[in-house]
Amino acid sequence: MNIVEVHNLEKAYGTNQVLRGINFQAQAGEIIGVIGKNGAGKSTFLEILMTIQKYDAGHVVLFQKDIQKTKLDQIRKQISVVLQPTQFYKTLKVEELLKLFKSYYQSNVNIHQIISDFQLEPHRKKYFEKLSGGWKQIVSLAIAFLSEPKLLILDEPTTGLDPHMRNMLWSYITAYNTRTGGTVILTTHNMEEIEMYCDKVMLLNNGKTEVFDTTAGILASGFVSVHEFYLQKVTI
Amino acid sequence: MLLTQLKYDLLMFSRELFYLVFTILVPPVTYLFMGQLFGDQTYSGNLNYAETYTPSFILVITFTVVFFAFGFDQVMQRTTGVEKRISISPVSKNMLLLSSIIRAIIMTSFGFILISIIGFLMYDLEIRFWSILLSYGFFIILNAVMLILASAIYSFFQRMNSALVFSIVIFQVIIFTGGLAMPIKVMPNFIQVIAKFNPLYHMNNLFIAVWNGHFTMDSQTVFSVGYLAVLVLVAFICIRIQHKRKIG
Repeated sequence: MNIVEVHNLEKAYGTNQVLRGINFQAQAGEIIGVIGKNGAGKSTFLEILMTIQKYDAGHVVLFQKDIQKTKLDQIRKQISVVLQPTQFYKTLKVEELLKLFKSYYQSNVNIHQIISDFQLEPHRKKYFEKLSGGWKQIVSLAIAFLSEPKLLILDEPTTGLDPHMRNMLWSYITAYNTRTGGTVILTTHNMEEIEMYCDKVMLLNNGKTEVFDTTAGILASGFVSVHEFYLQKVTI
Repeated sequence: MLLTQLKYDLLMFSRELFYLVFTILVPPVTYLFMGQLFGDQTYSGNLNYAETYTPSFILVITFTVVFFAFGFDQVMQRTTGVEKRISISPVSKNMLLLSSIIRAIIMTSFGFILISIIGFLMYDLEIRFWSILLSYGFFIILNAVMLILASAIYSFFQRMNSALVFSIVIFQVIIFTGGLAMPIKVMPNFIQVIAKFNPLYHMNNLFIAVWNGHFTMDSQTVFSVGYLAVLVLVAFICIRIQHKRKIG
């Protein structure tokens, strides 16, 4: 089943045409990496999927519903996100944030279970802004999982994290994907992560979809790694 | 969900030292301090210090709560990305706004009670049930006016630093040209002219009149009410325009 369908998506900021006719599909259970150089339109594309950015032309269908013809709250219940950087109320503690977002999502998830699953016990009484970058991303992911989303959108989730925190974050993402069959769409500049964890890759270049293929397909076409594929396809 | 949001909104307010100092601490201390200096004087309308400055300092608290903890807070949430993250959650914007408004009214009502008690204990303020009830009703209307003006003004800010500088500057201007700390009549002419454009000056005059049972529909009152009504209308238009720029 298609969770996301995008047809001929266009978006401009004033005279700057950022997206020039993107086509994209994501099916249930897929992990898809969106790559491209800075300014390629990755974040704009994700923000449109998050339903927080207007677009100029094209169609965006999430969970079989056109987002311009559906109440967004209905769609947002099924989406969770981790932004870069994710910010929450700075004067709330981790446990309080979890409780607040639990009420937003009207979730039945047990807060203590989430705290335990994400190893947040030592941090639950800390203010969000006092956490390190890595733990902020872990808390963001824990909050994202409160809703048990069908679609998880991650904008550069591992940027600035040390290898241990990166591994930890990915272990949660892949576990979620395996356990729930949820779809994950993310942007990253780390091609190793794309190769290790993503089923498909979409390369954006100058606002267009230059390549949209499986990771295995890209490697089978003669590239020794996704990193090399990126370097050959994208020029500075 | 509203009660949960309100609980955390109040908790966040209580943890923000900047808000606490400017709302709960500075105005009551200034009210006490000014009372010690000028408590024996008689003011416009043959009113004493408590009759003139109790409603004024209630307005000061209302202004600081609404402009700092409501208006500036909105800019802070917007510029730090909190608003963006919340906007992706399935939570009604109206519910969040309602919680902010209730929080502001709770805090300003606390200010109303606090200043009234200080006035009663320190400056022989007379508290009559119906008069205080009428004043509180009018105070809620002034709350609504300030909330609308603050929403409109702060909707234009995209940077926290500029909003902070604006807030601090406007605080000084509003206090001095609003007749909230000193009578406008003793100020230089140009301040008296500026005061006419200050909505707090008009609110203050109206509130003092209502507080002391002197409210009459004379030309000055009609001008003040009309001026505030025009500002509210303009603010509504601004809010509407800004709202259309946002999605969902």
